[in-house]
Amino acid sequence: MTSLELFSALQANPISNFIGHQNHLFGAVAQLFHITGLILVLTSVLVVSLRLLGLGLVRQTVPQLVQATSRFVWVGIALLTVSGLVIFLPAAAHYDPNPIFWLKFELLALALVLHVTLYRKVTQSEEAPRPIVAKGTAFLALSLWFGIAFAGRFIGFY
Amino acid sequence: MSFIEIAQVLYDSNIGTALRESVYAFPIVEGSHLIGLAFSVGLILLIDLRLAGLFLRKVPVADLLQPLRPWLLGGFALTISTGILLFVAEAAKVIIIPVFPLKILAITLAGINALWFEFKWARRTSEWDEAPVIPNAVRFAGLASLGLWGVVVICGRLIPYLGGGL
Repeated sequence: MTSLELFSALQANPISNFIGHQNHLFGAVAQLFHITGLILVLTSVLVVSLRLLGLGLVRQTVPQLVQATSRFVWVGIALLTVSGLVIFLPAAAHYDPNPIFWLKFELLALALVLHVTLYRKVTQSEEAPRPIVAKGTAFLALSLWFGIAFAGRFIGFY
Repeated sequence: MSFIEIAQVLYDSNIGTALRESVYAFPIVEGSHLIGLAFSVGLILLIDLRLAGLFLRKVPVADLLQPLRPWLLGGFALTISTGILLFVAEAAKVIIIPVFPLKILAITLAGINALWFEFKWARRTSEWDEAPVIPNAVRFAGLASLGLWGVVVICGRLIPYLGGGL
């Protein structure tokens, strides 16, 4: 099964059909939830990454900041996933030939893998990570998440 | 000269036309506007939540305000400058959408609220930061900021949906 066949099948299912037949402001509301989720995730990653770089909230420890922002990250990811599906499903086949769409999800896969591996290890360990590891992780996390946001904005222009 | 006429002049200007017709420049400016939002509205959201007692409750407000201020202001510089470019590119279409003046009004009120907070409270945090309960006026400033910036983001995101041919 090619991705186009899969996406066409997704688009043809009753739920996608139902979403697709709503008023166009329904899509706008999905976009509002999408941007809210994105701000929650980006700002949380930003605060923690700045701290790993030795910038921003330097009077707090990294684990403290991760703990204080983790609920924002998970609420944000939940909002992004649900609203993202609402945006994607009714036009799934239409996204298949879009290279920026695929780039966005490759970056997202990398960001999520980083989040549960190196990022988690660096930000939750009791002893301070080596500065080069901390800074590299922060740089990677910021690049990937900002890249995802940028790619998301670009999808509609291709 | 009315606002609509000014908007038409901006729309027809070289920079407006170039931005609108460019394959790369327009989405790059839009992407930067979005990234700027994570620094400006995103960081102010964290401070508002702290003032409301919902984030880093045990950390003094001054310890958030002072180190975040340059990042937040830098974020606003990026958000506002890219916002002006986006407006210039689509001015004639954007000026007639009712949510646009609402967005500008909410930005103005949020700015006044932030200045009031900055000069009345943020410059003398030592007088209230240690108190077990945050003064009501400070909590109110935080909630007002949260609500107003929420309106700004909502109006901004709705512009392409309510603007017909955008």
